[in-house]
Amino acid sequence: MLIEAHGLRKAFWIPSEERRTIREHLFGALRRRSFERVQVLDDVDLELDAGETLGIMGRNGSGKTTLLKILCGIYRADAGELAVRAPITPLLELGIGWNPELDAVDNVLLMGTIMGMSLAEARRAVPEILDFAQVERFANLELKHYSSGMAARLAYAVAFRAVREVLVIDEIFAVGDVGFKARCEARYRELSAAGHTTLLVSHDPRTIEAFCPRALLLDSGRIALAGSGAEVASAYVELAQRASAA
Amino acid sequence: MLQRRAHPAERALGSMRHRRAAIMLGREVGRAQRQRGRARGAGEVQIDSAIAAAPRSRAATPGAAHDFDVAGALWTLVRTDFKVRYHGTVMGFVWAMLKPLAMFVVLMSVFTFVFPSQDDYALRLVLGLFLYDYFQEATKTGLVSLHAKGYLIGRSHFPRWLLVVASTANPLLVVLTASGAILACLAVTGRTPAPLALALFLLYLLLFSAIVIAFSLASSVLFVRYRDLNQIWEVAVQAGLFVAPIIYPIDVLPERYHRLVYLWPPSSVIEFSRAVLLDGAPPSLRAHLCLVAATAASLAAGIAVYRRFGPGVPEHL
Repeated sequence: MLIEAHGLRKAFWIPSEERRTIREHLFGALRRRSFERVQVLDDVDLELDAGETLGIMGRNGSGKTTLLKILCGIYRADAGELAVRAPITPLLELGIGWNPELDAVDNVLLMGTIMGMSLAEARRAVPEILDFAQVERFANLELKHYSSGMAARLAYAVAFRAVREVLVIDEIFAVGDVGFKARCEARYRELSAAGHTTLLVSHDPRTIEAFCPRALLLDSGRIALAGSGAEVASAYVELAQRASAA
Repeated sequence: MLQRRAHPAERALGSMRHRRAAIMLGREVGRAQRQRGRARGAGEVQIDSAIAAAPRSRAATPGAAHDFDVAGALWTLVRTDFKVRYHGTVMGFVWAMLKPLAMFVVLMSVFTFVFPSQDDYALRLVLGLFLYDYFQEATKTGLVSLHAKGYLIGRSHFPRWLLVVASTANPLLVVLTASGAILACLAVTGRTPAPLALALFLLYLLLFSAIVIAFSLASSVLFVRYRDLNQIWEVAVQAGLFVAPIIYPIDVLPERYHRLVYLWPPSSVIEFSRAVLLDGAPPSLRAHLCLVAATAASLAAGIAVYRRFGPGVPEHL
């Protein structure tokens, strides 16, 4: 198994009174405050073998992104066992994270090296990344002048080029026009055929059905269903319909 | 409770490298538990076991690329920081030099009348001001570095200390340029420092940088929890300008106060630098050992605070 997680738990504590400065801590030292515990993940098990694609579905706030961040080492779990046996490339929060004062080339180099590419590799990949994102003409334009769609396309292009062994993707194929989505799908199929292991989070039942032989449905931090992509996709639609009816 | 020794995955680790990584990750979970326990009463959250790396994993840390290019990432961060800082300003990098120079002109015109008997007052003042400006700027940018680069932290798992170290590079470049100009002035006036003096000055800059990085590591992880730390530090470094013997010669103070002045880190670096470059009289070996020990203690404290609070940074951003 490349990734094994057993009994993962994560809770966030919401204070009755937010204290974010030393002044607030000093002046509030004598006032008691309570904490509300929000259990974001509760006893989550997950196993992922080499070359496998696992889908994760769930409504907003069900714990999907927190789970991905724990698997990627960004957040810490409160409890549970986690074994990661391969380098992970997280494709998270791709719509944000650029430095608006830098041009596309510098942003690509910055993001590429942070995501694990060597500087030489990132430099070599710049033309390919700009081409994939279709922003070659704006290579020297600062990102603050980019539209949100252009910036998101660039983010996907960097992330797809920086891929290591395991891909962890939050909402793939969610940006761009039809042509760009088709290129993203084609690139994803290439990576999958090359044996990359993938964890794919999506709200789109068609994406999970099409790409994931196996999937999990998260509900209130617990695994509500583990089954085939089609089973989980239809259970998710049912869950979402029940929630909107209520 | 966390039983690190009893964890089977950790026992299975084949190499020391993986064992160290597992221990570190286990400690992170343990720290999270202790933190929450202290805040809300121990025992509310049970740690079932430590997070552990796998025996055959080349990437001991979840999410990290096994061949992360530290030098390449550091260079890219420094280069892009430099570009963002000076791009679009009328005078670019020169602007960074003008701030301490303007301060020098003002202080010089006032205090040469106060300390008329002080040899090389202008040179002492300008050297002290540039060194202090480095300390002031680097610690201020280091303190907010993790918060300012939060958009990178949420995206990937990488050595976050790189953001802190990179943030101190631009002020270092300014002080290196200023030092070069001061050395050129000395050379032109026939007072070229001896090679040993130059080597000692570089050593002081190195130790000073280590102190700056130590402070930045600790303060950057605390700043995400206490958002007024930068304002407090701003006042402290402003006051520190008058604590360090920059404007006044240290001899004007009674000797019993000298030790207190030297507790402020920039004081010793400024005085030592003046001693080797301008007086040609290096401080004693004991004084050097004290500076090295103080730097080592600062680094140890900075790294300890960073390791204690660093893992929780993404959750506070």
